[in-house]
Amino acid sequence: MSTYQFVGKSIERVDALEKVLGTAKYVGDYYLPGMLYARALRSEVPHARIVELDVSPALQVPGVKAVITCDDFVDHGNFGFPVKDQYVLAYQKVRYVGEAIAAVAAETEEAALEGIKAIHLVLEPLPGLFDIDHALDPNAPQVGPDRADGKHPNFLDMSPVYKGNVDEVLKQCDVVLDLKYTTPHQEHAYIETEGALAIPTPEGGVVVYVSCQSPFIDKGILQMVLGLDPARVRTIIPPVGGSFGGKDDLNYYTSAQVAALALKTGKPVRMTFSREESMIASYKRDAAHMHIQLGASHDGVLRACRAKHTFDSGAYASQTPFTAWRGSIHAMGAYRYDACEVEITSVYSNNGFSGAFRGFGNTEACFAIEQAIDEMADALGMDPIDFRLKNCLRLGDETPHGQILTQSVGLTECLQIVRKASDWDRKRTEYSRQAAGDIRRGIGVAALFHGTSLGAEGIDSATSTIEIENDHTIVLTSGLTDYGPGSRTVYTIIAAEELGVNMKRIIMLRPDTNTAIDSGPTVASRSTMVGGNAVRNAARNLAQTINLAASDLLKCSVDQLYRVGEDFVGPSEEVVRWDAVVDHARDMGLVLSTYGKWVAPKIDWDHHGGRGTPYFAYHFAAHVAEVEVDVRIGKTQVLNYWAAHDSGTVIFPEGAYGQVYGGVAQGIGYALLEEALYADGYLQSVNFDTYLIPTSMDVPEIKATFVQTYFSEGPYGAKNIAEPAMVPAAPAVLNAIAHAIGRRIRDLPADLEKVVLGEALRKKGSPVSCKIGLKTK
Amino acid sequence: MKINFTLNHQPVSIDVPAGITLLRMLRDYLGVTGPKEGCGVGECGACSVLLDGLLVDSCLVLAPQVEGREVVTIEGIRAPDGGPNDLQKNFIKYGAVQCGICIPGMVLAGEALLARTLHPSREEIRDALTGNLCRCTGYQQIVDAIEATALERSRLQEQQKV
Ligand code: FES
Ligand code: FES
Repeated sequence: MSTYQFVGKSIERVDALEKVLGTAKYVGDYYLPGMLYARALRSEVPHARIVELDVSPALQVPGVKAVITCDDFVDHGNFGFPVKDQYVLAYQKVRYVGEAIAAVAAETEEAALEGIKAIHLVLEPLPGLFDIDHALDPNAPQVGPDRADGKHPNFLDMSPVYKGNVDEVLKQCDVVLDLKYTTPHQEHAYIETEGALAIPTPEGGVVVYVSCQSPFIDKGILQMVLGLDPARVRTIIPPVGGSFGGKDDLNYYTSAQVAALALKTGKPVRMTFSREESMIASYKRDAAHMHIQLGASHDGVLRACRAKHTFDSGAYASQTPFTAWRGSIHAMGAYRYDACEVEITSVYSNNGFSGAFRGFGNTEACFAIEQAIDEMADALGMDPIDFRLKNCLRLGDETPHGQILTQSVGLTECLQIVRKASDWDRKRTEYSRQAAGDIRRGIGVAALFHGTSLGAEGIDSATSTIEIENDHTIVLTSGLTDYGPGSRTVYTIIAAEELGVNMKRIIMLRPDTNTAIDSGPTVASRSTMVGGNAVRNAARNLAQTINLAASDLLKCSVDQLYRVGEDFVGPSEEVVRWDAVVDHARDMGLVLSTYGKWVAPKIDWDHHGGRGTPYFAYHFAAHVAEVEVDVRIGKTQVLNYWAAHDSGTVIFPEGAYGQVYGGVAQGIGYALLEEALYADGYLQSVNFDTYLIPTSMDVPEIKATFVQTYFSEGPYGAKNIAEPAMVPAAPAVLNAIAHAIGRRIRDLPADLEKVVLGEALRKKGSPVSCKIGLKTK
Repeated sequence: MKINFTLNHQPVSIDVPAGITLLRMLRDYLGVTGPKEGCGVGECGACSVLLDGLLVDSCLVLAPQVEGREVVTIEGIRAPDGGPNDLQKNFIKYGAVQCGICIPGMVLAGEALLARTLHPSREEIRDALTGNLCRCTGYQQIVDAIEATALERSRLQEQQKV
C-alpha cells in the first residue's frame, strides 16, 4: 500500500473549532433585522377531510403578518419522489397527526402561536388505518392516493429477490425454522430540531437557509411549488445539528412554507420546531413486521431463506419504496443459499409517516435475519460464529441476487477479529454454563453486509469544484452536505493529498446551490466514496494545471518534478514555493478553477424478477455485544462492545471511529429503549422525558477495528461507514440477551417488560401529549 | 423587568419579560446563541450553562433567578488568547465533535466536572455527562477528551506545587 501524507492520518475536523467555541451558527441562531417567526397549524387527528379552513381570523391577531395554505402554491404544493403524494400544506385531507395545514408568520413566536390558534378549521374525521396487517384488506380505510392500475390504494410497493425454489429446498432441509419479528418506529432524535429561514431577494426570489440533507432537492422543490425561475431560488445549508436520514422531506416543506411567507411579507421568515413539534410532525424509521423461514442441513449448511416483510410507510411514500428495496436486498443476510425468496411489501397507514433513517431498511431486515441465523445455530447446536463463518459470503461467491463478489469482501476477517478481541469462545462457554440467578450474562454476535451508495435506486454521481483564489487559498465545493459525519474533512484531506498542500490552505465550503453543483442526495453513506471521488478528480485536474506551471517555471518536464512538502523541486534541485507556482500559472494565463465528476459503476437490477447486481460494492461488518441482564427488573446493561468493519481504506480515522461509536449507540437505543409508539395514530412520546435515547451511561466502551480491504473504485480504496455502523448493533445485543436469559425477544425494543414478561404490557394510548405539544411553545 | 447579573465575566443589565427562561433571555435578548434549545424540558443539556459554577439547564431556570449571580456560557470558555482552551482543544484532537449541536453543553459539563476533580475515572466522566444527550458520537471520544484534559490539568497542578 502506498503511503499518504494525509489519508489515514490523525487529522482535526475542519469544522470542529467553531463548534467547540460555540460560534457555529445553526438555522435557529439566525436573528435578522425585521425577521418574522413562523409556525404551522398541524393536524390533531390522524385522518380527516378538511371541510372548512378560514385563515383570515389569524390576520386579525396583533403581530401576525401573513398566513398561507396549500392554495399559495403551484398545484397545491404537490411534491414527492418517487411517489408524488405529499403537499407542502395539506390539500383536502390530512393523513397523520402533525401534518401541517396552514402556516403563519408573525413578529413574535407568541403571536405566531396565537395566529394558528385563531384559524378556523373544521375537520371531518375519517376512519383511520393503524394496523398494517390489514392495510390491504378490501374494506380498509383508504390512505394512499387513488390509483388506476387496479391495485389497492394502500399498496405502495413490493420489492423481491428470487433465487431457485424455496419450497423445494426447504423440503430437503433437516431443520426448518419459521420465525416472526417486529421492529417499532424509531425517532431520529437529532438534537437540533427542524428549521428553515427564508430571505426574500430584491429580484423577487428567495434565499433559504435550511437544516437539511440534500440542497438541490430542496431547491428543486422550492422552484416547483413556488413557480419561480431556478435562478431566483438559492438554498444554503448552514451547520446541521444531526440528521441520520431525518432531514429530508419535512425540512423541504418547511423551507417551502417559510419561502412563501417571505415572498408574501417581503421579510425574512424563520421557522424552528419545538421538540414536541419535531417529534410529532417528523417522519420516523418505518415499523416492520417480518416473517422468516430458514432451512439448513444437519452439517450446518444454510440452504434456503424466505423473508416476507411488511413495512409501514405511514401517511406518505416518502423514501419507503427505497427503504423497502434496500431492506429486500439485505433481508437474507450475508450468506449463501441454494434458494431464496424475499418479498417486502410497503403499505400506507395513518401512523405518522416513515422515511429515511440510518441503515435504510437494512437496520430492520438485519435485526430479523441475524436473530434468525442465531436461532438456527442454536437449533443445530452450533456456535453462532462458527455457523456464520461456515455460510457467510466470501470473495468469489455468488450472492443470492446473482452477483459475483470480485473484490473487497472482508466479512470472515471481521468475524474472526471480534471473536478474538471479545474472548468469545471462553465467554460463550462460561455464560452458557452460568448457574441460575437473577443477574445473568450473555454474549452475542451479528454479521452485516450493506450495499454501498444508492445502488439501483438511481443515477449515482457527484461533482466538486475547486479553485485557487488570489490569496492562494484553495476553495473546494461539493453538492453533498456534511450534517455531522465529517465529509467536509474527508474532502479536505483528499484535496490536500492530491495537490500536496497543507490542509489549512483549503476552504471546504458548505453546500450552496449557487456555488456547488448538484451531486444527488446526501444519503446512503455515499459521501466518502462518490463525493470523495469527485473531489479527487477535481483536485487531480487542478494538480495537472499546477504541475504544468511548475515544469514551465523549473524548465523541466512534469515527470522530472518532485515535491518536498508543498514546494516543487526540479532536476537541478532548485526549489520553488507553491505560491510562486500558482502565481506563475496565472502569468501563463492558465485557469485555476476546475471541477471533477465521478459516476459510479453501472449496476442493473430487475425490480420484478428480483435478480441482478443491486450495488457495486458492499460494506461488511461483525459486532459482538456482552450484556448483563437483571431478570428481576428486566434491565439490560451492555457491558462491552466490539465492532469490526470492512469499510475499505479509512481516510479520516477519528471520523470513522466516531461513526462506529455513534452508530453502535443508536443501535443500542434501538435494541433496548426506543419505540416511537403510535396509538390510534397518536405518537405517545413527544419529548426526551418519555422518548429515551442512550445516555453516556447506557453506552459501553466500544472497541472498534477496521479491516481495510482495498476497493478499487473507491478513493484510495475507501468504501463507506456511516450507516453500516448502526445496523448490526440491535441483533448483536438481542442475541446476547437470548444467550443470557435463554429466551428470545423477537420484538424490539427489549425493554424491561419484554425481558421480564416476554411481552409488552398493553397500555391504553392517549392523544393528549400530541394535542398539547402542537399548541404550546 | 430589569435583571442584573454577570455574564461571561462581564456585568449585564437587561430588561426582559418576567416569565421567560434564562435560555430565552440569553438567546433572544442578549444574542448569546451558544446555548441551544434541544428539548425545553431539562432532558437534553443542549442549553447547559454554568450558574455560579454549577452546571444547569438554562431552559429550566427563570431569568429573574440569575439576579446577582454569575452565568458562564460556552462563549465564556476560552483560553487567555481568545482561542480554544485545553478542554476545547482536546475535543478537537480526540474527534469528539460531530454535528456539534450538543458540544457547547458537553464542554460546560466537562468544565463543571473538572472544577470538582482532576482525577475522574472514565465511569465518573460518563456519570457527569448523563444530563447531556449526544445523538452523534456515542460519547466515547467526548470521554476521551475530558479524561485527557483532566490528566493534563492535574499534571500542571502538580508542577505548580513543586
Ligand atoms: S433544552 Fe434545556 S435541557 Fe434540553
Ligand atoms: S455531536 Fe451531534 S449531538 Fe453531539
